[in-house]
Amino acid sequence: MLALITRRLMTAIPTLLVIILASFFLMRLAPGGPFDGERPLDPETQAALQQAYGLDRPLWEQAWLYVLRLVQGDFGPSLVYRDFTVSELIAQGLPISLTLGGLAIVLALLVGVTAGLFAAVRAGKAADQTIMMGATVATALPTFVTGPALALFFGLWLGLLPVSGTGEGVAWLIMPVVALALPVSGAIAKLTRAGLASVLKQDHIRTARARGLSETKILFKHGLRPALVPVASYLGPAAAGLLTGAVVVETVFGLPGLGRYFVQGALNRDYPLVLGVVTLYAALIILFNLFADLIYGWLDPRMREG
Amino acid sequence: MLKRHFPIFLVLALVMLALLLPFLLPWSYDQIDWEAVRAPAFSGSHIFGTDEIGRDRLARLAAGTRITLMVAIAAALVSLIVGIAWGATAGWIGGRVDEAMMRIVDGLYALPFMFIVILLMVVFGRSILLVFVGIGLVEWLTMARVVRGQVIALKQRPFILAAEAAGTPSVAIMWRHILPNIAGVALAYLMLTVPQVVMVESFLSFLGLGVQEPLTSLGILVKEGADDMDMTPLGLALPGGLLVMILVCLTIEGERLRDRFS
Amino acid sequence: MSLYEIRNMAIEIAGDRLIEEVGLTVEAGQCTAIIGASGSGKSLTCLTPFGLTPGAVSGSMLLDGVDLGSDGSVQIRDVRRRLAGFIFQQPLTALTPHLAVGVQLQEATMQAGAARPSRLELARKLERVGLSRADERLDQFPHRLSGGERQRVMIAAAIAHSPKLLVADEPTSALDASLRSEIMALLDELRAEQGLGLLLVSHDIASIEGHADQLVVMEKGRVVESGAASTVIAGPAEDYTRRLIAAAPRLQDPAPMLSRPGEPLLETRNLGVSFDRSGWRRGKIKALADASIMLHECESLAIVGGSGSGKSTLGRAIAGIGPVTEGEILWEGVTLPERRKRDLAMRRLIQPVFQDPVASLDPHWQVRDIVSEPLHNLRPDLTPAECARMVRKVLSDVDLAEDFLTRVPASLSGGQAQRVAIARAIIASPRLLVLDEATSALDPLVGAEILKLLLRLQGENGLSLLFITHDIAAARRLCHRVAVMEAGQIVETGEMQAVINHPRHPATQKLIAAS
Repeated sequence: MLALITRRLMTAIPTLLVIILASFFLMRLAPGGPFDGERPLDPETQAALQQAYGLDRPLWEQAWLYVLRLVQGDFGPSLVYRDFTVSELIAQGLPISLTLGGLAIVLALLVGVTAGLFAAVRAGKAADQTIMMGATVATALPTFVTGPALALFFGLWLGLLPVSGTGEGVAWLIMPVVALALPVSGAIAKLTRAGLASVLKQDHIRTARARGLSETKILFKHGLRPALVPVASYLGPAAAGLLTGAVVVETVFGLPGLGRYFVQGALNRDYPLVLGVVTLYAALIILFNLFADLIYGWLDPRMREG
Repeated sequence: MLKRHFPIFLVLALVMLALLLPFLLPWSYDQIDWEAVRAPAFSGSHIFGTDEIGRDRLARLAAGTRITLMVAIAAALVSLIVGIAWGATAGWIGGRVDEAMMRIVDGLYALPFMFIVILLMVVFGRSILLVFVGIGLVEWLTMARVVRGQVIALKQRPFILAAEAAGTPSVAIMWRHILPNIAGVALAYLMLTVPQVVMVESFLSFLGLGVQEPLTSLGILVKEGADDMDMTPLGLALPGGLLVMILVCLTIEGERLRDRFS
Repeated sequence: MSLYEIRNMAIEIAGDRLIEEVGLTVEAGQCTAIIGASGSGKSLTCLTPFGLTPGAVSGSMLLDGVDLGSDGSVQIRDVRRRLAGFIFQQPLTALTPHLAVGVQLQEATMQAGAARPSRLELARKLERVGLSRADERLDQFPHRLSGGERQRVMIAAAIAHSPKLLVADEPTSALDASLRSEIMALLDELRAEQGLGLLLVSHDIASIEGHADQLVVMEKGRVVESGAASTVIAGPAEDYTRRLIAAAPRLQDPAPMLSRPGEPLLETRNLGVSFDRSGWRRGKIKALADASIMLHECESLAIVGGSGSGKSTLGRAIAGIGPVTEGEILWEGVTLPERRKRDLAMRRLIQPVFQDPVASLDPHWQVRDIVSEPLHNLRPDLTPAECARMVRKVLSDVDLAEDFLTRVPASLSGGQAQRVAIARAIIASPRLLVLDEATSALDPLVGAEILKLLLRLQGENGLSLLFITHDIAAARRLCHRVAVMEAGQIVETGEMQAVINHPRHPATQKLIAAS
């Protein structure tokens, strides 16, 4: 187990480094720079700014310096939000994005696994077909359609929930989290249902049945854990999907999360900000995949040897 | 047939409609009717009314559907070709080469790939060609994994060994034994990639990073609708509903195909 | 009164009547065996009355005074819980993967309402079925155990609640020959010790001989013949039973008529094969070491060994479809290069036939194309018309009619598919066939026919055969000489009959004792 974690972490570091460097050079290949405003700056100011931010040095040197600072937890200054460092922007936006993503995945797991379980128990019956149809529709619901639709219905028409901003209490979280969780919960329901359907056909279930166990006990003690293996392997992509989805809900619901900073940063060529967010998200997703691996080992001990 | 495969026929009908409408409608998708800004549905020649600057909604829907599906199919084909080439090579050669190639796929899987696509869009300008090359290059990962798994499973099947013993050259084994046997699964995943790409393209367009005006796509229409939804909910409901319908239909058919072949 | 009695039972699944008029009895402390080819309905017969298949039963089934037929399914669950224990064919998959052995054994012990057993009691149960280091095993997950060990755990769990009847569905078919006899002996002991009735299902009459008291022979859902096992085996009344018995190879059978071997043909010198370990870690797994064999024209050599003994690796190396890391292969005194470096003439010489006949045919191809594949590559000199003629000829050589030309593999039975595979192997006139467990996956009756076919082809074409198998009795019907393998090494070689009469190596002795 420990060996598995160490091995994963060992591969995570070079992966992360490659991502950072690739994004770094990719951005610098782009025509245009952060100081191309509406009005062109005079050459001296331009040069001074370039020098101040170290943009006049050779690319490799810049990349090396960036990585060095990153190791010390310094993401550098933001080029567009001039009064802030990237670290400050991240400290401001990350909690919001993580709250959204975290709540959404918990909700999606609860709803998805329950629905999938229920459908599998009722396999072939009307309830099963209804749930599975619902799950298919849910997976096909893009956040950028459900978000505005929810806002229109519950916010503007019914006036039940706030449409924009964080505000007081937790009411502002409801719609963004639901919009984010819907497609993921649909996918989880489908995976749970399919996993159970295949596990319940396996030989060890027949062994359990031969012992005269009740169907409920067979389902929960012998069937559910191996059936959730596909769900666990979906958690990594799901996390990535939620982080991207967060970009949309933050835009739609006007929340000051990290995703919005990212889009703004990308459009304005705020190199350090964009690099910082990509690095952070890549690290988060790698961490989440590691977590999924651990769940894997618990669900099926055969995977522990990896 | 028609009843069982209703979803795919529905999508085909929509495609036909999207292709034919430009010839039937008096308005083009970027033409402004100064007399009828924000016209309600069924007013005059505007069946679904006009948007906030007076462009015919139906014409814009047709144009958006065309672009969205065109991008989706092109990008899915890119992912199919790259995915099969990569996966089949890794699976067939095996050993360290396979391991290295799949490590790359795993690594890319761990990426916040949407952010990379956004980066690509920003870096290389927002051309439509780039939209689908970028998306296709990201979406090939699943295809590569699936194809590799299939090739490895097939490679150990005795009929491949028998073909080898029968003197069939490697290239011929690939073409005549392996590819026909993975075609079904590849097709199923191609079908499932299309809605994925539709989703990504609309997402990018929604953020203003995908298809650019004057061209339009369903994502842009949703964005315009969302911005104006307190005035005319129809502007959000039409493209949103159409997009969800296309996604649902393609997903249902793709999953059916996948279940049949695996 | 018998412990378990079935009378006039019929079983339907989805409206199809699959079992009809079946009757049998199991006495306490005795074993009743159901024998039949696959598809004869033997597993359905023993599992359906207990609600373990989706079938619907009618008729009278009495177990220890409880009527299984007339009650609802809750009662059936109760009968499984209290009165019966079950062992299945696949020990690899029959245990729950995420629960430790001890947890599963405890569940089984408590299934009929017994108190929670202590760890010591559980360990004793494992010791009773012949598992060493029992205490340690309790905490292990099933995948850490070997197939034989898992089947022992299954047996311990099946009898943990002291049932009256043990139902064993092909309990040894997935195991090596030497393990088979150990498991059968264990079942005999437990039966005698606990007064347990045993209902045993098998497709292999040889494996139950000496263990079963009663024998029920089934064919196509009906009982063909039944009675005391010794009587039925000694003097079968029905033709089907007779053929079943004749198909089961035995070491005591009279010596078969074999062709006369000629000049030396193939020789391997210190052949070794090692594989890279998976992952980036360095290191090799040695699958085969120092293997030297000699094969003559028109001779059959058996390579016999348990699973993992390296016998298939040796066969693949010789056939040019597997790697060779050390040593050399000589053909009529000339070195054969490895794998893809062999030219067309060399490839023609040796052709393989595999265990799983259906998997060895491309599902998308017609029989015609499958059989002619070697001709296209190995005989570019032939015209299409000549090819077509040869395909027809070779199909008739393996006793398949012409209408098979356009069939696809999915429409073939196992025996027919294996004949197609043999046709493909012999069409380019090879000199040597490498038969890798070519009859093991087939029903005994079909397997016996394939053996006969191979013998005939050898006589007609002067073929040499390398017959790789775990079953020395089957090999004896075909082979002049035998090489016994264990752990990647050849441990004994010699004339077949001499080795059977005087085995020297323990591995050989074990294999022979098991047959």
